[in-house]
Amino acid sequence: MSELWKRVFLVFSRRKPEELDDELRFHLEQSVERNAATGMTAQEARRQAMIEFGGVERTRERCYEQQPGWWWGTVIQDVRYALRGFRRNSVFTFAVIATLAVGIGATTAIFSVVDRILFRSLPYAHDTSLVSVGLTAPIIPEEFMLGGSYYEWRDNQKPFDALTSETGVNDCDLTERNPAHLSCASVEQNFLSTLGIVPILGRNFLPEEDLPKSPKVALISYGIWLTHYGLDPGVLNRPIDIDGVQVRVIGVLPKDFEMPALEQADIVVPQALDESQQRKAEPGRVMYAFARLKPGITSEQAQAELQPVFNYSLNLAPPQFRKEVHLRVRSIRDRQTHDVRLAAWVLLGAVLAVLLIACANVTSLLMARAAQRERELAVRSVLGASRARLVRQRLTEMFLLSMAGAAAGLMLAEILLRLFIALAPTGIPFLEHAHLDLRIVLFSMIVSVLCGALFGVLPALQRPSAVALAARTANSGARAVARRCLVIGQIAVSMVLLAGAALLTRSFSSIEHQNMGMETRGVLSTRVALPQYRYATTQQRMEFYLKAEAALRGLPGVSAVGMSNWLPPAETHESQIFNNISVAGKPRSTDGTGGMVTWRWVTPDYFKALNIPIVRGQGFTEDERRSNEHYLVVSSLLATRLFGEADPIGQHLQPVPQGPWYTVVGVAANVKNGGLSAADEPEFYRLRRSIAEDWTPWNAIVLKTSLAPSAVTPWVRAQIAQIDPTLPIDVETLSESVGKLTDRPRFETALLGFFAFCGLLMAVIGLYGVIAFVATQRTQEIGVRMALGATRFNVLRLIAGEGLRLIAVGGVLGLGAALAASQMLKSLLFNVGPYDPLSYAAVALLLVLVALIATLIPARAAMKIEPVVALRYE
Amino acid sequence: MAESTDLLQGTLDLLILQTLATGAVHGWGVAQRIQQVSNEVLQIGQGSLYPALHRLEYKGWIRSDWGSSENNRKAKFYSLTAAGRKQLAAELKMWDRLSAAVGLVLGRLPEVTG
Repeated sequence: MSELWKRVFLVFSRRKPEELDDELRFHLEQSVERNAATGMTAQEARRQAMIEFGGVERTRERCYEQQPGWWWGTVIQDVRYALRGFRRNSVFTFAVIATLAVGIGATTAIFSVVDRILFRSLPYAHDTSLVSVGLTAPIIPEEFMLGGSYYEWRDNQKPFDALTSETGVNDCDLTERNPAHLSCASVEQNFLSTLGIVPILGRNFLPEEDLPKSPKVALISYGIWLTHYGLDPGVLNRPIDIDGVQVRVIGVLPKDFEMPALEQADIVVPQALDESQQRKAEPGRVMYAFARLKPGITSEQAQAELQPVFNYSLNLAPPQFRKEVHLRVRSIRDRQTHDVRLAAWVLLGAVLAVLLIACANVTSLLMARAAQRERELAVRSVLGASRARLVRQRLTEMFLLSMAGAAAGLMLAEILLRLFIALAPTGIPFLEHAHLDLRIVLFSMIVSVLCGALFGVLPALQRPSAVALAARTANSGARAVARRCLVIGQIAVSMVLLAGAALLTRSFSSIEHQNMGMETRGVLSTRVALPQYRYATTQQRMEFYLKAEAALRGLPGVSAVGMSNWLPPAETHESQIFNNISVAGKPRSTDGTGGMVTWRWVTPDYFKALNIPIVRGQGFTEDERRSNEHYLVVSSLLATRLFGEADPIGQHLQPVPQGPWYTVVGVAANVKNGGLSAADEPEFYRLRRSIAEDWTPWNAIVLKTSLAPSAVTPWVRAQIAQIDPTLPIDVETLSESVGKLTDRPRFETALLGFFAFCGLLMAVIGLYGVIAFVATQRTQEIGVRMALGATRFNVLRLIAGEGLRLIAVGGVLGLGAALAASQMLKSLLFNVGPYDPLSYAAVALLLVLVALIATLIPARAAMKIEPVVALRYE
Repeated sequence: MAESTDLLQGTLDLLILQTLATGAVHGWGVAQRIQQVSNEVLQIGQGSLYPALHRLEYKGWIRSDWGSSENNRKAKFYSLTAAGRKQLAAELKMWDRLSAAVGLVLGRLPEVTG
């Protein structure tokens, strides 16, 4: 015990240095005495003793080193020394920490978002071997299967361990005491087992439960289990009412369950298709197929091996369409994220570019500081600091800086991530689950610290040269070259970033300012969700909407009330194959599909409400609405394609083979109908007559009003509530819903713009740093030049010329890189080419201007130097 | 030169402890004693002696007191503590095992047995 106390005491007690000196002096004197005893003169005895004794300082050091806790003491010493240095160079310290923070923060935040999109593992046990498989054709954008060939594929395919299907997600209503509007997914019985999903309660479907006549069973999602059944295990085997039918719950899905195509699914039921009927059907039910690859088989191999069954399906397709039907096998992840992948990669690239610039900045700053400190290092070395100690000092500084940078970066990342989630439009998958990834924090920290440490510590590894001690001007020529290269690199990379941001901005503005072919101002759109179980028949639905139309027409300030199943310019709408349209008196084209044609159901006032001009003939009339005839309005684009120069009015069309014939009564101007950034599709309008069969489930009401939309909205709600007070109603202005379509490009543009700004800022700081450094280093030279007759303008040119060269080289390199990189952006751009000269000119101008300012500030300072002061410098 | 005889790692500690086993000695005395006893083979320079003494002291095996030397000078005398005595015994045993083992390997002491 006492031993322990003694040691504790020793750690804290500081030994007086005089004691050791006394001890060593005693030793030396004993040695002198011994020598004297052998007969040497006093002087010789002392001399010999001194020689034998050797260096005292080293012994003293080594004695100190024996003290327990000595090492930690020196660490504290190093830290103190570093902190003192930071305080003295607060600008340097701030610049390094801020650069690290931006680099680490931005990288971490973006990577946390992108990671979920690009690299996330799927919540299925067989994650890596799962693929989505099927046919592609113009009519359905994603790969699909048809009942007519699916079973043939299932029986004859070779590359898969298992093949399964789902027939999509439909609205369904839980009609119990606590009714709710839900989504029900219909799947094949082997769906869960193929993907590798195990219910957390209960069991999977049995094969016999997936037959058309078998008793109804369902798996419920964890969310429904929680909100409707309070996580009660007793829900098992309980019958629940779905759309008025009793269904027995046989299990609960895991918390992280999701459909492979990411549809919302609250309840999963067997699709219960009649297999033998589907086999004969043509084309059969549309379904989506997923498969588990056999071990060692890639998607490409699977695609090749599926050729025989694909040919079977191809033979079922109408001959003229076969050219446009293809086979596709791709990973489920690809299917989920294909439309955001490019944007995700672009963002990742942008943020890595920012990290690169940040690294270059840290490196450059540390190199500048190392050059400044060469003298100090040389002095410390001469005073006896070991090389290890000097390196450790540097490492300590780097460690402190990177810790501070990382801490600030983490905070920044958290803020940025929250900002992204708040600003991001819906439809970016997984964003709401994004969270900071510590691995990424670590990664970006290590990258930036490594490049900093490398250049920060390297100089300390060399033996400090004697030159450094004597040098009046620092001999850091090699390092200055390296810093110039770094600045060139920074300028080039920020040029790439800026060019990308400029292109996206231009593209975004052309999306926003394009002519939509209709009026969005002063138009309200209303959607009412009619519950299936109370409005089960088309008659009931029609009656509701006709009542609503009449009521809304009576509102003050409302000049037109139209209805349609879908509203432009969104991509959701009905569409059909162009070549299916027959024109009376003309043979049908048999050359491929001819692409797709959009169509919608409309009431006569639809054109008036949206201010779509009728360019020929007339729109629909109220009389036509009450007749039993079929009438059609075609868009100009469709009219040209079908009739060329001929007059379309009065022509007869049959849109679907075996369907009714329609009379064309008018030609409407083209409207943006395939989303904001896609090309217009030809379109026709079917008159939604006041006949029950015309009233398919979807319907939106559009109102043209001369009053403020905010004033009309409550009236609309009130009118509809008078008809049925329980209905949920969505009212928004058409401008709002169009605005939502631009959310994605706006978000992407804003993000890239932000990174370009960060990159530019850091590059400019780097440039400024180098020029300022060069200017200070050449102070004396400037003094000499001025003394020899150089004018201030000559000096300005000398220093600014240096900066201009860097800008020019970096700018040209960056321009080349940007031209190459912009190819990647091509499919994100709308109405702007990847080589848009205006964008590049603007970017180049901006970069040169900002860089010039960064150069001129230190150059001006150099110009103002008084020759006398400059000559005495150092 | 005899001084170049490198001491085996840790051997210096053992030599110092052994030297102090007979009573308190100052640093100079320790060096002299080791030199004499080893027939001038082992010469301990102050550069290794004092760090070693300090190390042993921090470990609590020896302790130091100021006293006066034979020629009446102020000197620091080192002596073994109880822990030091234990340590010495342990290190001697260790040394015996080690030297016997090294001897065996070198074939110098064929008949050494436990």
